[in-house]
Parts: sequence; C-alpha cells; structure tokens
Amino acid sequence: MNATVGLPRALLYHKYGDLWTSFFETLGVPTVVSPPTNRAILERGSRLAVDETCLPMKIFLGHVDELLSKADYVLVPRVASLVRGETTCVKFLGAYDVTLNSIPNARLLEYDVDVVNGKRQAPEMRRLGRSFERNVTKVMYAYARAYRESKRRHLEHARQQERAALAPGLKVLVVGHPYNIRDELIGVPVVSILREQGASVLVAEMSDASEAKSLSARISRDVPWTFNKELLGAVEHYRPLVDGIVFLVTFPCGPDSLMTELCVRRLDGMPTIVLVLDELQGEAGLRTRLESFVDLLKMRPGGRFATDAVMGVRP
Amino acid sequence: MGNYHVPMVTLASMLDTEILVAPRMTRRTLELGTRYSPEFVCIPFKYNLGNFIESLESGANLLVQAGGGCRFGFYAEVQEAILRDSGYEFEMLRLFGSFELRDYHRQLRRINPKLTFRRALWHYRLASRQTNALDVVEDYSRKNCGFEVEDGAFERAFEAFLGKLGRTQSFAEVDTLERETLEELAAIPTERPDDALKVGVVGELYVVMEPFSNFFVEKELAKRGVEVHRHMSVSEMIAHSGRNGPKHLRKLIEMSGPYLHYHIGAHGTESVGLARQFMQDGFDGVLHLKPFGCMPEVNAMTALQRMSRENLFPILFFSYDAQSSETGVRTRLEAFCDMLRMRRRRDPGLAEAMEVCA
Repeated sequence: MNATVGLPRALLYHKYGDLWTSFFETLGVPTVVSPPTNRAILERGSRLAVDETCLPMKIFLGHVDELLSKADYVLVPRVASLVRGETTCVKFLGAYDVTLNSIPNARLLEYDVDVVNGKRQAPEMRRLGRSFERNVTKVMYAYARAYRESKRRHLEHARQQERAALAPGLKVLVVGHPYNIRDELIGVPVVSILREQGASVLVAEMSDASEAKSLSARISRDVPWTFNKELLGAVEHYRPLVDGIVFLVTFPCGPDSLMTELCVRRLDGMPTIVLVLDELQGEAGLRTRLESFVDLLKMRPGGRFATDAVMGVRP
Repeated sequence: MGNYHVPMVTLASMLDTEILVAPRMTRRTLELGTRYSPEFVCIPFKYNLGNFIESLESGANLLVQAGGGCRFGFYAEVQEAILRDSGYEFEMLRLFGSFELRDYHRQLRRINPKLTFRRALWHYRLASRQTNALDVVEDYSRKNCGFEVEDGAFERAFEAFLGKLGRTQSFAEVDTLERETLEELAAIPTERPDDALKVGVVGELYVVMEPFSNFFVEKELAKRGVEVHRHMSVSEMIAHSGRNGPKHLRKLIEMSGPYLHYHIGAHGTESVGLARQFMQDGFDGVLHLKPFGCMPEVNAMTALQRMSRENLFPILFFSYDAQSSETGVRTRLEAFCDMLRMRRRRDPGLAEAMEVCA
C-alpha cells in the first residue's frame, strides 16, 4: 500500500510530530505535513467549526481540510488520557469525532490512547502501523526507533533551554500550550515581538515531565489535565530565573480559563500579563501590550534591571 | 441545583451541624459570581461562586463542592482561592473522585468525628430515595403540565410535594408520598390535543437541571402545550456512576450510530445518544442546552448539527452566559414551536425552506 499520510500541523503535531514522521518514514510510508498556519487555513477552519470551538481546534480543522487534496489519509489520533487519574483537555477526546462530523467525506487514520481505560500508546501505534506493514517486527522496530528519536530531540530541545535560562539578561517566560506557542498565527508573533524588545524568551517546557508534575503540586493539587500540569510545573521551575511571565491563552480555552486565574493569584510579586487571543487578533494591539510589558519589567524598582538612567525618566 | 436542595439537606444533616440552604437564585447571584470569576469560565462556575458568596454573607462557614469530568473537577480549588483572596473565612470540603462511599465517609469524618459509616450510609440511601421520588414526580409533571385546564394546578401540587418531601424521615414515608403525589397529579384535569408536540431536552447537566439558569425553558415549552421529555436527572447520574459508567457509555455510543465512535467527554456523548433516540422515537424536535464554551457539549454540537442536517430533524441550540437575555430565549423558543407545528401540518413551503437551509 503506497498511500500518502497527511499530518496536520496543529494541536498534537507540536508534541508528537517527530514521533509520527519518524514512524512513517521507517515504515516507508510517504507523509505530507500541512504548511504553517496562515489566514486562509484559519478561515477554512472557522467555516467548518461550530462558532464556540476554541481557536486551536478551528486551526486544526483548517489543516485537515487543507490536507484532503494532498494526502490519501489524514492522521487524527484521539489522546484521551496519558496517565492514570489524569485526562487531557476534552477537545482531544472529541478530536476524531468532531473532525469526522465537520468534514464527513474525510478519510481519517486514527489511534486511541486512553490509559485510564487500558489503551496504551505503543500497542495502539502498532495497530496503526499494521495497516501499512504486515510484518509485526518491522512495525515494532519502527515504533521503538521513532519513540527513541522523538524523545532524544525533545530532551535536546529542553536542555538547551534550561541552559539559556541560566544566562544573564532580561528573561520572559511564555506559558502556553505547545500548539499555541509554535503556531505561526498565535505564538510565533508573540515570541518574536518579545525578542525584538530585547528579552530572551523561555517557553514553559521541561526536560523531565515527571519532575514538572511534582512541582505543579505547589501551585495546584487538583488540576486534572496532564498538559496543564506540565505547564504549571515549568512555571514553578523557571519562576526564580525569569523577570516576568506571559500567559498565552486562546479564546475560549476551558482548562486555561481556570488555570491562569489560579496561577496569577498564586504568583505573588511576579509581573504577569495574560494575553487572550482569538481569530480577530490584530498585531498592533498585541505589540503595544507586549512592548509596555517589557518596558515595565525594565523599569521595575527592585527588578534586576532597574538602572538610574531608566528610573530618572519616570515622572 | 434545581430542587435537589431537599435531598441534599437530608444528606448534610448527618454532619450534625446547622445547615443553611443557599438563598434562592436571583440575578444578583449571577452578578456577584461574574464579578469575581475569570472572564470566560463556563456559567455554572459563576452561579456556584455567587451561591457561595451569598451563603457566606448569610453566615455559612463550611462550603461543599463536588467535581466531575470536565472543568468541573477544578472548580473547587479555584473557587476556594478566589474566595480566600476576597477575604472570606470558611472551610471547604471537596467531595470527589472515586464515588466510593468509604472515601466520602473518611472525608466527612473530619467535620463530624462521631459519624459512623452506618449512619452515613443511611442518610445517603434516604437522600437517594428522595432524589428518586423527586425525579419521578418532576418527570410526570414535565410531560403533563402543559395540558392542565386550570393554570398553575401542577405547580401548586408540586410545591406541596416538595415541602412534604423535606419532612420525610423513612423510606416508607417517601414511598407513600410518591404514590400519593402521583395519584394527586393524575387527578388534575388535563386536556391533551391529539397532535400535541413532543420535544426532548438534552445538554450540559447544570443548565439542564437548574431552571433558573436556563430561563425556565421547560416551563415555557409546557406553556405552549408541548410534552417535554428529559432523561437527565440526578437519579440517572447516580445509576450510571462508578462501575456502571463504562457500560453506559458503550451503550450511548452505540445509540449515537454513525455520529460518534468514541466518548467525547462529560455528558457530550449522552447528548448525542439521547438526541438520536428522540429522533428515532418520532419526537418533533430536540432542545440542546449548554453554557457558553462548554467543551464536551461543543464537541457534541458538531455531531448534533450533522444529525440535524442529514435527517432534516429540528434541533434548537441554546448557549448560556452571563449576558444571555430571557427575551431572546423566549422569542427563539416561540419560533421553534411555531416551526414544529407547521412541520406537523406538512406545510409544503416549509419543507422547501428546510431543504434550502440544509
């Protein structure tokens, strides 16, 4: 079977992209990744989605729609829970069915990770692989290799950032889901504006997910979502090293609506800014807010960058 | 929520403390809740927070919050932080997780150390029996009160029942009361036209079960002579919790037919499964209620919209937030009922219009 598999560059791609690419590559299955998000993709997604769907999900639907003409199948996994006693955001539970109901003629590939109900990632990915390669050993090899590879790249990435966190200079932590931070329309402009202002940007991601989870308990013990636990842990981890925190939230994100509220209340004395983005976002407003936030960090009395020169300018 | 404060009082009386029933909900409840809540959190959070503030104002010092499968599981911690930051002093009991009575008992012992497991069990069982009676009686009046000859007859009988239910002390008393009330309701004269409309209600649990929060849509429908069906109730939820959960979910996914392959979170699966059931049972339409931004129900909406489109089956969607207006809801309901009536008469113009819409 020489079918092409489409990988939508949205949602879980930003977490499992390396795993998927390497898995299909080893199996000899050609893949197509949709281009970075642009206005046209977002508009296609918005047209397909129910009005109240969150921004990343609209973008996701746009990517799937984009891939329909480029690939034979589109990969839309359902990742419902990764650890016992925790879940992922509800949109991941419904991703497969929502996509199928919004685009009924789409040909989708799926796998279902739901650890709470006894469905683990490895056997599910093997099941997926079997539809392309009958030889089980080859599929197992492909998965093992992809898993190792993606883990290595993740660690490399995270360690690099942990080193950067120790460097001197003005540092800002951006807290948001990877699928928002790495999205061309949502997070990329935020990060580049911050960099233009002379801040070095850290994202809330740690090399050690289990350490992140145990740290997250200092801020919240009840948060039920795995991905949010990892974010909270990273906040706690980087907090002593950064000058300010930017919360990047997309409208109307369910988990973040509560998590951000709790976080801001528990981060005493830390300058924070909450950016809520939707599809009507203009860049000018974003730029103004981020510029003044960075200016404030620079001027802050007691902050590490409060110099006399800057202080003198203040009325 | 709804009239469930009656069994809740029975349940809470095991703590041997003074019990305050939260003051009746008003617009002020929502305003208070909204003022202190995160901007786009779902509306049950805002109502809950408003209830808590009003209760604290009237002297409560122990708050109880539960938790569930979506954002609800995170309500308690955030609400506690908000209330403490606002300067209130209280203790908060969070009941959730495993639905194991032993666990609950352990938590409740912190408040009342003298509480034995037997006593807790007795209170729990009496409260569930009361809940059950309440749901049976409510269900009967939902289906029939639209056809009463004398205005308000059902409501009066129901209020009397509610008062008596709170005073029941044993299973036998609840049994008798339930039987008597049903007889009493059956004796109320009604006039049912042959072509009475039948509408099913599905959606998110809070706005479905708290009439104040949905602007009394069920009553409004009944006033227009509609027979209202709704499966969701606390008795249903208790019956399908814990060990029975997975089996119930499988059944719901099966009921959803081609529209769902997996569980889509909280009560979303139920909304789709039940709506399809209503459609197959020949109902005239379905009402879907949810708070704005409710994640599981937004998932469900994609399936419901497709179902409605492919089968030309009328489904009306309501999304509630702090800015919803009662007039808007009423106007849309009225138009919906008119549309259903026209459809019943097989108005050719309408069929054409629906084709165009689809």
